[in-house]
Amino acid sequence: MLAAEEFTVREEPYYLPLGDEIELFEAAFRQRIPVLLKGPTGCGKTRFVEYMSYRLGQPVTRISQGGDGPGEAGPRPFVTVACHEDLTASDLVGRYLLDTDGTRWIDGPLTRAVKHGAICYLDEVVEARKDTTVLIHPLTDYRRLLPIEKLGQVVEAADGFLLVISYNPGYQSALKDLKHSTRQRFISVEFTYPSREQEAEIITHESGVDMAVSIELAKLGEKVRNLKEHGLGEGVSTRLLIYAGRLIERGIAPRRAAQVAVTWALTDDLDVQRSIEEVVTSIFE
Amino acid sequence: MSVAAELAARNRERFEGFPEPLLEAYEAGLRALEARLTPTRLENWSRGGLDLMAVSLRSWESAAEYFRAGPRIPEAAPWETWEQLAGEAASLTEQSAPLAVSFLRSAPETLALVGPNHLAQWADLGRRLYKGNWKSSSLAAQFYDAGPELFAAIRMSQAGRLTLFLDELARHSYELAAACLASAPEVLGRLDGADRAPFLTFGVELAQSSWADSRLYFDRGVALLQRVHAPVRERYLLLAARVARDHSRSAFQYFEDGAAALGEVEPDAHGPVIELAEQLAPHSAYAAMDFIGNSPAVLEKVRIDELPAWQAAGLGILAASREGGEAYFRLQSSRGEEVLDTLSARVELARVGEVLRLYAKALTGRDISIHAAAVLAEKGIGWVDEERASTEGTTIFLPEVMERHRDKDENFAAMKVFATHQAAHLEFESFAFSFERPSALFEDLRPTLPERGEARPATEIERFFDLFPDRALASDLHEIAEDARIDAAIKRAYAGIRGPLGRMQREELARRPEVSELPLRQAFVENLVRVSLDGAGAVRWPAGRAEPMAGGVAILQRLTAAGATAEDAAEAALRLYRLAIGIRNERDESEDDWDALPEFDEQSLDLDLSGLGGDGPPMELGEAPEGESEYESPQEIDFRGEFKPELVQLLMKLRDGAEQGDAGRISPEQLTEEQLRELLEKSAEIDLDALLEGDLQQTTGMFLSNLLKEAGTPALDSDAQSDQPLSDLSTGADEGEEPLAPVVTTYYYDEWDFRAQDYKPRWCAVKETALEEGGEEFYEETLREYASLVSQTRKQFELMKPELFRKIKRLSDGEDVELDPAIEWMIDIRTGVSPTEKIYWRRNKVERDVAIAFLLDMSASTDEEIARRDQQYDDAGDDPRKYLSWWVTKRRQELAAPPKRIIDLEKEATVLLITALETIGDDYGIYGFSGYGRDNVEFYVIKDFEERFGEATKRRIDKVTPIRSTRMGPAIRHAIHKLSATEAKVRILVLLSDGRPQDHGYGRDRTEKEYAIHDTRQALNEARREGITPFALTVDRAGHDYLKTMCEDMGYEVVGDIESLPRRLPALYRRLTE
Ligand SMILES: Nc1ncnc2c1ncn2[C@@H]1O[C@H](COP(=O)(O)OP(=O)(O)OP(=O)(O)O)[C@@H](O)[C@H]1O
Ligand SMILES: [Mg+2]
Repeated sequence: MLAAEEFTVREEPYYLPLGDEIELFEAAFRQRIPVLLKGPTGCGKTRFVEYMSYRLGQPVTRISQGGDGPGEAGPRPFVTVACHEDLTASDLVGRYLLDTDGTRWIDGPLTRAVKHGAICYLDEVVEARKDTTVLIHPLTDYRRLLPIEKLGQVVEAADGFLLVISYNPGYQSALKDLKHSTRQRFISVEFTYPSREQEAEIITHESGVDMAVSIELAKLGEKVRNLKEHGLGEGVSTRLLIYAGRLIERGIAPRRAAQVAVTWALTDDLDVQRSIEEVVTSIFE
Repeated sequence: MSVAAELAARNRERFEGFPEPLLEAYEAGLRALEARLTPTRLENWSRGGLDLMAVSLRSWESAAEYFRAGPRIPEAAPWETWEQLAGEAASLTEQSAPLAVSFLRSAPETLALVGPNHLAQWADLGRRLYKGNWKSSSLAAQFYDAGPELFAAIRMSQAGRLTLFLDELARHSYELAAACLASAPEVLGRLDGADRAPFLTFGVELAQSSWADSRLYFDRGVALLQRVHAPVRERYLLLAARVARDHSRSAFQYFEDGAAALGEVEPDAHGPVIELAEQLAPHSAYAAMDFIGNSPAVLEKVRIDELPAWQAAGLGILAASREGGEAYFRLQSSRGEEVLDTLSARVELARVGEVLRLYAKALTGRDISIHAAAVLAEKGIGWVDEERASTEGTTIFLPEVMERHRDKDENFAAMKVFATHQAAHLEFESFAFSFERPSALFEDLRPTLPERGEARPATEIERFFDLFPDRALASDLHEIAEDARIDAAIKRAYAGIRGPLGRMQREELARRPEVSELPLRQAFVENLVRVSLDGAGAVRWPAGRAEPMAGGVAILQRLTAAGATAEDAAEAALRLYRLAIGIRNERDESEDDWDALPEFDEQSLDLDLSGLGGDGPPMELGEAPEGESEYESPQEIDFRGEFKPELVQLLMKLRDGAEQGDAGRISPEQLTEEQLRELLEKSAEIDLDALLEGDLQQTTGMFLSNLLKEAGTPALDSDAQSDQPLSDLSTGADEGEEPLAPVVTTYYYDEWDFRAQDYKPRWCAVKETALEEGGEEFYEETLREYASLVSQTRKQFELMKPELFRKIKRLSDGEDVELDPAIEWMIDIRTGVSPTEKIYWRRNKVERDVAIAFLLDMSASTDEEIARRDQQYDDAGDDPRKYLSWWVTKRRQELAAPPKRIIDLEKEATVLLITALETIGDDYGIYGFSGYGRDNVEFYVIKDFEERFGEATKRRIDKVTPIRSTRMGPAIRHAIHKLSATEAKVRILVLLSDGRPQDHGYGRDRTEKEYAIHDTRQALNEARREGITPFALTVDRAGHDYLKTMCEDMGYEVVGDIESLPRRLPALYRRLTE
């Protein structure tokens, strides 16, 4: 199953800039330089692209691989691709479908984005099959071409087209590392966790809880991230902290909310769980 | 005529007047034995029987039995046995003919069972039971009759005890004895061989003390005894026998209760329980048995490893008062209950240490270890108290057990408060104090005061303390101020800790000494302590002179504000000192009442003491006047533990001296004797008298070398080596250490000099050799030890295999025709286009094409023993039996296996990794490295890339041992060289080390880590450039991991829980390549 979504972002998504990423992205867009967003899960990459596409008045095409669960928060729903390692070039470009009248060619999401001049966001690109990178290459150099082998066509990208990919450098398999020839076609914008104050602001905005609670949640995030190398593949994401905030907003006790949204969501290692639990009980009454 | 016939004829007339069957038996006997015995022997045999006939009126009966027995005597029996039998028969017949009859009737079968040698013994046993009356005669006869049945079950020695038992019983009741004898073969037969003798021993004692219970014992004893773990049954019975020996009527009851109780306890735990009981037995056998009988109840509350503590407490009571002790073990004393509750509620650091370690790491963001406070005292670096919590900057030291409450959760909460306070010193930067940094809440006095120290102070905090004439007072006030700040910061940042911390503060307040009995300056300090414990209401002070006290309180309370820093605490300490020194340390002689402080308007108090720094000449901090009582420090506060900022700063400075730039840098060489001596003399906490007893010079030296060791630098005594100039190319090689030198190939590599930002060309010589071979046992042993993990690993890696098979399409030859291209091919043919013939597909074994080089740190530091982390028991508390068995297994393992070192785990992990790699078939090489100096980087081949895994590999792993230094860079470069030679597409280099690169000349001096770290990182970068994925795995619990900061963006992982390494390594490999 492939999750591809196309829409024009009409309402301004909430995005709190953490650095100069907006300027960088805008400049890259004007110069048609492809962008790679690097950073841990749930730190706002997707939100950022949405926001930028709104700012730039561009329709976006999002192609998401794994990562985002069905409970994904965001202005538009995501569809999850379960068999994420099976994304092939034809999934992106298009394929012949059989119907009563015979075969019919259907453009893939990438092709449509190329034709319509949209921002195309390939989430967690390393998860996709190797053959997809073959498509990315001609699209990302000066030619801006998408070869559609099966049709024997080459489509030139419409003016507004921009390819954005994301990549989480955390724990990666050596087999899946992003190849240099691919990587060096993008500028790399790095996302890190926001500062405590910024994160609290995001949590408050997204969940509606008091700033006082948000600050405590952000503090929890900060403390738990200190345990990153201890069996937690990654630190806790802003997304999870927002979940905790939303539960609290619905009247769940903070300790309990943190337990389900943070402690248990992060690890199955009992020792580590217990330690996080102790941090939670220290921070929340 | 045959001999038999002749004998029969000759003796016929002697049978006159005897019943007919007698003669029949005689003649039948003769006929049957004729062939077996020589004529002489036959005649002897015949005479034996004839003699019996003559003994008494009824002795013909025994003669008849004699004649019938003859033919049944086992073939193997020697002639002596025949004679012996005749002799025993004669003597028994004289005593009692029926007895002899029974004896003779079962003698042949019994002989077959016990062998000829035991005949006499058997006869004697029966004889012992015979007392001349008919009851005893029938018991003895029964004994003989039972022979064949009995000896089918038991041996002669056991029969001896049985007889003792029966004999004892018979004194009270022949019926009972007879009944027991009747059931003996069956009862004893059901027992294990080894249990029979002790079973009977207890039986004998029981027969003496409460004979009536013997039947019960025979009826139920075996089933009861079988509840006791076989290896300790004898010891159990002996304990039970002790009670019986005490003439107790309830011996059987004790036996029964004890055995039933043990039945509820896991068999493996019986040993420990019995052992503890045996220690009690000399004092009171009852206590010993009650201890066993109550063990299940006790074990419901405490763990088996706490049982000794509970027993010891009772043993103490028992030794003092037998009655008291017995009540204790009967569980009928409140003291016993109390001890139980305390034990079951206490929290041991060993069990919660790991959780607290991660907790502290989360709070502080630093790699922190947790150890018992005693460990710190042992280090000999200035801390002397073995029980109080503290930190020296990288480790938090906590009490070994927490048992102040009767509830486990409360005890844990207390432990957590202790840990939080120490962590908070780190989180809120108590030790980052800088003399020059302005405070946030006060007008700074520090710059206005004259500095008094002569020598350049070693640390910032030392420089601060140098301002004070009275060091002890200053140190106390500073500690109070800093702790007040820290506790306030904790309460602000951690709402969840507020409750437990507040409770602990209140408990401390309740323990404080009566303030009005202290000399005034001490009373002043005491009141400050109370304020710092959030107990401003508990301040008591003479009503008439409230002013200085109110000022002190206000100063201290200012530190509870958000944003207060270590410098604020220092400024506060200055002001408090000024106030305190102005108060004479004398008891208050005035008539004033000691009241709570009245409300003060803060404005009215001159908190900045501007008068102190003001316009006039800089004012010195005063000194205590002559003639007052000597100042004593306030009573300690448990949960805050010891606070020694001057030592922590010194250690920290030593640890990362190199990173601080030259200005504030201290290397051990630069830290002068003078500075140290001053530090030692001035440090209020160090017991000067003790120091002065020894040679100060020596003590200082020891202290220094301990400190250096602590700071991660080698001890001073190896100093000479470091003085070798870098350019000295001579190595130790020509000292002829290795008589049979293996083939050594030398390679040269550049080294990265981060100061020059350039490589030093061909700087290091890497000497590659095959590692010596040892035995295969280590390898096999490891496989056995980790059997389940091994099979798990195999399975997991098997699972990765199917992916190796991919369907390859569009081939010109293959397994089968592929539909799509075939159609295309047809169409092409029809339309006249030249077709492509690639229409086949085939499943192909796609090589995974992964090569991994695995680099093992074999430096001396891997020799470090791993403090075995107390394994956690998961099913907490539910089922004491399960727990017991778990505990005992664990104990056994501990006894069987000596503590492991880092290197051992490296080795074990290697073995497991090999299992994984062999399963999946990836190409791999395993190498070890060590060496000394840049000319001698030893690179040991354990298994080379092209080499096949085999016996030699196993034998080499055995020889992986800690050798010398750790020059990581060149070793990594050589591994890169090896990897580059492989054709594999994916190449991985895993470096397994303790994270402490260190070698002679690998940096400006031995304390400098930076050079080594930069070079190591650079080497790892080179790997990346070569398209190799580097991964550094660091085994480190102590926070000595210097690589971490440098490798954060690389594949890097700390294995904090070293013992999990064998499990983690294959898992990591899977993640890297899946
Ligand atoms: N800077 C930010 N401004 C506003 N919202 C943010 C920001 N950072 C994170 N968020 C919130 O966090 C949520 C998760 O972010 P997002 O889905 O964009 O993460 P992501 O980086 O795309 O994660 P993944 O890698 O898992 O796809 C968002 O829905 C948003 O609510
Ligand atoms: Mg996303």
